[in-house]
Amino acid sequence: MNAYAPILVLGAIAAAFAVGSVVMASLTGPKRYNRAKLEAYECGIEPTPQPVGGGRFPIKYYLTAMLFIVFDIEIVFLYPWAVSFDALGIFGLVEMLLFIATVFVAYAYVWRRGGLEWD
Amino acid sequence: MHLAAAYDTLAFFGRDPWWLVLLKAVFCFAFLVLTVLIAIVWERKVVAWMQLRIGPNRHGPWGLLQSLADGVKLALKEDLVVKGADKAVYILAPIVAAIPAFMSFAVIPFGPAGNEVSIFGTRTPLQLTDLPIALLYILATASVGIYGIVLAGWSSGSTYPLLGGIRSSAQMISYEIAMGLSFAAVFIYSGSMSTSEIVASQQPTWFAVLLPVSFIVYIVAMVGETNRAPFDLPEAEGELVGGFNTEYSSLKFAMFMLAEYVNMVTVSAVASTLFLGGWRAPWPISTFWEGANHGWWPMLWIVLKIQLLLFFFIWLRGTLPRLRYDQFMKLGWKVLIPVSLVWLVMVSAVRALRNEGYDFTKVLLYVGAPLAAVLLVALIADVVRKKPEEPPAAAPPAAFDPMAGGYPVPPLPGQELPPVPRRRRRTPQLQDALNGADHSEGS
Amino acid sequence: MIATHALAAAGGNSPSIPAPHIEYGQLSPMLVVFGAALVGILAEAFLPRRLRAATQLGISLAGLVGGFVAVVVLAAQGHASTRAGLLAMGSVAIDGPALFLQGVILLTAVLAVLTYAEGRLEPRINGHRIDAFAAQAAAVPGGEQEREATREGLRTTEIYPLTLFAVGGMLLFPASNDLLTMFVALEVLSLPLYLMCAIARRRRLLSQEAAVKYFLLGAFASAFFLFGTALLYGYAGSLRLGEIADVVSGVAPVTPALAVTTQNDALLLIGLAMVSVGLLFKVGAVPFHSWTPDVYQGAPTPVTGFMAAATKTAAFGALLRLFYVAFPGIRWDWRPVMWGVAILTMVVGSILAVTQQDVKRLLAYSSIAHAGFILTGLIATDRRGVAAVLFYLLAYSFVTLGAFAVVTLVRDSKGEATHLSSWAGLGRRSPLLAAVFALFLLAFAGIPLTSGFTGKFAVFQAAAGGGAAPLVIVGVLSSAIAAFFYIRVIVLMFFSDPQPSGPAVAVPSALTATTIAFGVLVTLGLGLLPQYFLDLATKASIFIR
Repeated sequence: MNAYAPILVLGAIAAAFAVGSVVMASLTGPKRYNRAKLEAYECGIEPTPQPVGGGRFPIKYYLTAMLFIVFDIEIVFLYPWAVSFDALGIFGLVEMLLFIATVFVAYAYVWRRGGLEWD
Repeated sequence: MHLAAAYDTLAFFGRDPWWLVLLKAVFCFAFLVLTVLIAIVWERKVVAWMQLRIGPNRHGPWGLLQSLADGVKLALKEDLVVKGADKAVYILAPIVAAIPAFMSFAVIPFGPAGNEVSIFGTRTPLQLTDLPIALLYILATASVGIYGIVLAGWSSGSTYPLLGGIRSSAQMISYEIAMGLSFAAVFIYSGSMSTSEIVASQQPTWFAVLLPVSFIVYIVAMVGETNRAPFDLPEAEGELVGGFNTEYSSLKFAMFMLAEYVNMVTVSAVASTLFLGGWRAPWPISTFWEGANHGWWPMLWIVLKIQLLLFFFIWLRGTLPRLRYDQFMKLGWKVLIPVSLVWLVMVSAVRALRNEGYDFTKVLLYVGAPLAAVLLVALIADVVRKKPEEPPAAAPPAAFDPMAGGYPVPPLPGQELPPVPRRRRRTPQLQDALNGADHSEGS
Repeated sequence: MIATHALAAAGGNSPSIPAPHIEYGQLSPMLVVFGAALVGILAEAFLPRRLRAATQLGISLAGLVGGFVAVVVLAAQGHASTRAGLLAMGSVAIDGPALFLQGVILLTAVLAVLTYAEGRLEPRINGHRIDAFAAQAAAVPGGEQEREATREGLRTTEIYPLTLFAVGGMLLFPASNDLLTMFVALEVLSLPLYLMCAIARRRRLLSQEAAVKYFLLGAFASAFFLFGTALLYGYAGSLRLGEIADVVSGVAPVTPALAVTTQNDALLLIGLAMVSVGLLFKVGAVPFHSWTPDVYQGAPTPVTGFMAAATKTAAFGALLRLFYVAFPGIRWDWRPVMWGVAILTMVVGSILAVTQQDVKRLLAYSSIAHAGFILTGLIATDRRGVAAVLFYLLAYSFVTLGAFAVVTLVRDSKGEATHLSSWAGLGRRSPLLAAVFALFLLAFAGIPLTSGFTGKFAVFQAAAGGGAAPLVIVGVLSSAIAAFFYIRVIVLMFFSDPQPSGPAVAVPSALTATTIAFGVLVTLGLGLLPQYFLDLATKASIFIR
């Protein structure tokens, strides 16, 4: 069998288990209707009609997400380099140092501008 | 050096007959579920001992069946779908969280890659499968798992879960960077991303010894990734009432719990594989017992290592208080990332110079001197830098007005309540009796 | 199973990944500019605010002039002619056209950066000099945070590193010898431009709207380019322009694995069409021009000048290389389409310009029309065509830059007075400025003794020689239309009465004055004594493969 097939088999078992559990829960559990039970939970006070800001959230999270993309892409570039490190020799080292330095410049800028602060 | 030998290991995978694949997959699944069941009881027991309590002791001998009982109880609870929920996503989220948690385990090696053991007459490696990009696959499944949590938070249509969900995603992606960087150093030494080859390349020395900084960064990042104490901010009970899973009940809730613990097992297994020699016997044993790394024995070692790491998780939870969110993000972005980047640069420089045949002292000089220079500059900068000035001496506190905000507020430490105008007591003798108390408490 | 084994064997023991070879010396113009950009970011991060603007100007000028020196040295060493070659494993070509255009881009960038630093036009705020860029680009327009930032005299000095990054991408764009490098260069030049459009100090909503429009349309065009790249890769099995050309002309042996797709002309034609869409968007050719007026109007005027001059140069360089290196073999397929695009661009640009009431929009439509004129040179498909386009780009860049620099000087209390009505009678109040602007307009119109005439003459001559005589007729006719509205502005400036509440002409510092003076000098120089530069362009007109 293909080396990837076992992953699918394990995934199928996990999926069967997870879906089975979720379906089973609706069958085994009791059902007693109560309007208050179906309200959003806010420690017992009247729930707000909708979540904070209508489901929007602070822009800081977007910033984190964008920084994550930048650095994650960097890491993705690092992996093939790391795997074939011995074959590339000094050339690979120098080029990757330049690359890391470039990303570090951006990192320093973000840091100094307070992009990494969470007051 | 060892590379040529190591590269053949991938050839052993993808050759099992279908029934053996099924058997191994069921084993992986069962191993995870059982480990989780044991781990939950174990955690409660250990935390209880650390807090001088007894812990669960009702279900089964020494309370061993506690987590099973919990599971059955959850199955018998009402399965709520709150009014404001986005129903399809709400139901899908726990499934999305659970499946990838299990799937990461497919590439964890329980034994050497080679047809070492015989299962019903078929010789096979003790590993479900291996890929040339196994570690990338692990990272990918871990990232898919985040979706479960984010979607759960978002689809609940409620404030606390939403905050918990986005906190959690921000936390996980922040620590994923440090985690990924610590992997890169390992790849430089192993020359491969496949788990079996990474273990094979830890032949004389474990990577935890060769790459201590990467190991520590990974250990910190793995706790952050699994949302465990002291990084359990997404479910911070005190602030978010449980976070993303607030609106979940019954087995859907159980799925999230299960996913969290399965993730713990998985990251522990990855830590063992990458840094702690995987299935290899620990040092003193391997020196005098050749057979320890062959046959079925390796399974024992890796299970032991996983259990030890799980104990480490529990120990952390019993010891450390939860971080504040800004401290947590600061640790991730301002400490772990630069440290692991600098470490990666050093590792690669040392490795490249040694590959080129420079001797050790020169390598030390070339790599150490810039580092020392940077540290020196940092030190000087720190000395020269203008320290933030002491805040000016606090002005004498204004008289405390408990009704300033429109409703009564209790005094903070150092503030005093103004004397309360009181009605004259009716009974003079009672007033006399209380007078002393009034004085000592009033002003 | 076998497949896995093969994968393991292939992925495994791979001792001989040949370490690539990079010719740092010949790539030095780009490396210097990118290096300066990084230094600029560090300066932005670590310098105190009051030092930033001056330092950034210094860094940018050092980087750009350094890059230009490198280009001149490379050209002097013969890298433009005899020693031209493919670098960086064949992904970058340094040859005549590449070096010529890099030189033009760097010079225009130097002059543009000078206009960025102009601090005399805006009134001082609390003693702080301010420039044309937003106090704090991230603040909500009109919000409390913005007012505070303005009071403190903040400036968005990030504009300098952004410009340097854009310039770096532009240097790579006409030099890129494979489609992927070209795409990377396209993105590197575009992304900073999108940002730079958004940070005007005045009329910020207009500026942000322009940036969003530019970004959305630009991202769309980039996607077209990338999709076309994928199709062409499917067709040719390679991204290198030279190898694609070999497959197109049937020289290359057909790889058995690619035999099906290599015979498939649909892949080739659709791929070429999509890649062209991406590039034609950047040059602002009709029907991909709709972003131009809005973006030119909304962006801060110094940025508009830079964008109009340098982006067009870089994009035409890439377009030339694409059509001349990769697809000369199917010129009978693409030429008719480009005919149509050129005619449409000239006619639409000229006619719509007539109706404009805003100077910046007028210049935008004029730039569209000019894209059409340059396209006629491209259609010639011979060496004279390349030389004509190179010369035209040189001439046009400086005229545009000068014209936009003049626009920054005509101001009223609300900032730049760009409405045409407020330019009435400008010649009576400020004869010198009006005369300079008139000169630029005449150059746009292609009146003899200006650089515009020489350029137009060169492209039309090349087009006629290349068998595109009808195109030349359309070109001359639309030039006549265009001349009408240029002359109209001149008449407005000199022969109508000034409005009582009209704008004032600000006195610039030496920085903007230098830019305008240089524009005038080049306009007159290329008009009166074009021969040296025509020869230079002709010498530089051979693409390496």
